[in-house]
Amino acid sequence: MLIIKNIVKQYAAHRALDDVSLEIEKGKIFGLLGPNGAGKTSLIRIITQITAPDSGEVIFNGERLNANHIAQIGYLPEERGLYKKMEIGEQVLYLARLKGLSTAEATKRVKYWFEKLEMGSWWNKKVEDLSKGMQQKVQFVATILHNPELIILDEPFSGFDPVNADIIKNEILELNKQGSTFIFSTHRMESVEELCDNIALIHRSKKILDGTVEGIKEQYRNNTYRVEYEGQYDTSLASDIFEVLQQQEVKGKTTLKVQLRPDKNANQLLAALLPSVAIHRLDEVIPTMNDIFIDQVKQKN
Amino acid sequence: MNKILLIIQREYLSRVKKKSFIIMTLLTPLIVAGFYGLIIYFSIQGLSGSVNKIAVVNENKTLTERLSSTKNNTYVYVDQSLVQMKASLKGSDFDYILYLPDFKLDNPQGIQILGTKQAGLTLNNKLSDGIEDLIRIQKLKESGLAQKDLDKLKSSVSIDTKKIGESGKEEDSSAGASTIIAYVAGILMFMFIMLYGIQVMRGVIEEKTSRIIEVMISSVKPFQLMMGKIVGIALVGLTQFILWIILTTAISTGVVKVFLSEKDKKEVSANAQVKDNSKKIREAVDNGPVANVQKALANLDVTKIVSMFVFYFIGGYLFYSALYAAIGSAVDSETETQQFMFPVMMPLLLGYSLSLSVVTNDPYGSMAFWLSIIPFTSPIAMMVRLPYGVPEWQLALSIALLILGFVGTVWMASRIYRVGILMYGKKPSLKEMIKWFTYKN
Repeated sequence: MLIIKNIVKQYAAHRALDDVSLEIEKGKIFGLLGPNGAGKTSLIRIITQITAPDSGEVIFNGERLNANHIAQIGYLPEERGLYKKMEIGEQVLYLARLKGLSTAEATKRVKYWFEKLEMGSWWNKKVEDLSKGMQQKVQFVATILHNPELIILDEPFSGFDPVNADIIKNEILELNKQGSTFIFSTHRMESVEELCDNIALIHRSKKILDGTVEGIKEQYRNNTYRVEYEGQYDTSLASDIFEVLQQQEVKGKTTLKVQLRPDKNANQLLAALLPSVAIHRLDEVIPTMNDIFIDQVKQKN
Repeated sequence: MNKILLIIQREYLSRVKKKSFIIMTLLTPLIVAGFYGLIIYFSIQGLSGSVNKIAVVNENKTLTERLSSTKNNTYVYVDQSLVQMKASLKGSDFDYILYLPDFKLDNPQGIQILGTKQAGLTLNNKLSDGIEDLIRIQKLKESGLAQKDLDKLKSSVSIDTKKIGESGKEEDSSAGASTIIAYVAGILMFMFIMLYGIQVMRGVIEEKTSRIIEVMISSVKPFQLMMGKIVGIALVGLTQFILWIILTTAISTGVVKVFLSEKDKKEVSANAQVKDNSKKIREAVDNGPVANVQKALANLDVTKIVSMFVFYFIGGYLFYSALYAAIGSAVDSETETQQFMFPVMMPLLLGYSLSLSVVTNDPYGSMAFWLSIIPFTSPIAMMVRLPYGVPEWQLALSIALLILGFVGTVWMASRIYRVGILMYGKKPSLKEMIKWFTYKN
């Protein structure tokens, strides 16, 4: 639904985005990853039409991005806030009406969401009387209220306690099931693995990696296994099957981290070990997104 | 367009509903009316007020002319010496002793005014004027002038101010009243532009510090947000202005009525003294400063002045508030605004102080002309000039330039604003702000 083509954005001496291209499919949750200052926010600001790119273009549902699309996008910025002195209900209504909803429709939806997220009693409260987590909840509602096709969330879970984070996560998944597309900008990798279908990694203004989460993990699998056993085994005997990356012995139990030789498999590893030791555990070491992220960023540095 | 209306509505309602706005709007006319009442009160008091009884101890042999009593000062020549008088002053009904020693007419020295309370500046001036007059007459007499010739020398001058209007007809006008209205208009204009301009700046900073700005501009264009805020606050200002006019007129009329009815009550009384007083009160109300203003108001084109005030308020406010919005967008907090406030405040302050000094003294001079033409100062200077009368073409030129001026500042400010609102952290220099101006979207 969203195609980003060769975007370049230059700020005075700093190039924030350098020839970035992405494609985001309808109904997916897309993770936009990258360290601080990589250019994520610049890219989001272009998609939300806060700024315009110097070159390149954005295609939204087959059309070049234009002002009509504002109502179809919901954006929760990382730096977010509300009018402190304004009452919550009034404020959410105002934000929804700015997105083009009629007063009646907006009122109906605000009531629905306040009810759903147990915020009904907050209507006449002022923002300054709410805790940070409560404010975040209000903001989330304001972002999705106009039922946008594309919802962009920049670090949506910061400031939430685990209970509320879970509520919001479920709402995201439910909206996604109903067909909303999400862009999820974050540097918290565990939430990426849980939620995202696709990711793109941006580093120093450039896209350095993209694809599905499984695909990327598959790509980063490198035949590494962790095996835990009791007993004595001379690892040099099996050097044609695997290479030992790490070895640790605690209370008679040994943990090995090994990488198999290119044409070997886990069965052969077990076959070599079985005669001499009692196996407690064997599992494949699949790199987490966090590992991949750190690995990639380090590589480019 | 619909979005701008929504923003205007929010900006307007959120301010008008504030307690501070309601209190200010109701309280100010009360204070003004209070002053109005005080002015009337004092102008009546000044006329029928206390009379000083002064004992004159004249030890001078050459000065045979005598001070004649006036409305406020009664002179009684006594035969006692200064020492005797001093001793008996407390028990007597004299307020002061005027001591004229035996000085030479060419060198009048050693004159004293003594009293249980200190003589005020007015009394002091009156006395020295009076004694100077005495000495002059004495000298003229010595040089051989007869009393009837001296009487011929006396004359009392009062100047009627008239203005020749468009049609060549003479119109009554009062320089004093025009000046008062010019001052009031100038001060009000200055206050309004400053107060509401700064409100725009505060509003912009509030959106930045509360970090709602990014949410907002993902829904509306920065220009819409800026203009919505500026227009919304302008409407707050106009609301306040109109309420002030209505309330002040209502309350002031009430105050005058109270004084007039008191005057009527006093007239009914048979007491001659009170009758005399009430005549004075009537004089005060009919001829005093209050009446002057009312008379001048009747002769001035009030509708024109009020409508021009509204226009110049809107024009001047737009001109400056756009600049204030740009400043607000560039900083993270109000404390950082000082450096930018100065260049923006300067022309306004300059216009204000020059308007109230130079322009009121010489409303048709070239300084007054230029100040009322240049958009930086014209809202104040033109308001100050208007009560004196301004040629139509100058007014038209000033209006046209002000419109051009605010279109210019609004355009300029919006270019800085759209960049500034997204910038956090280091306070930008003026140079950087100029650079933002050239940024593409």
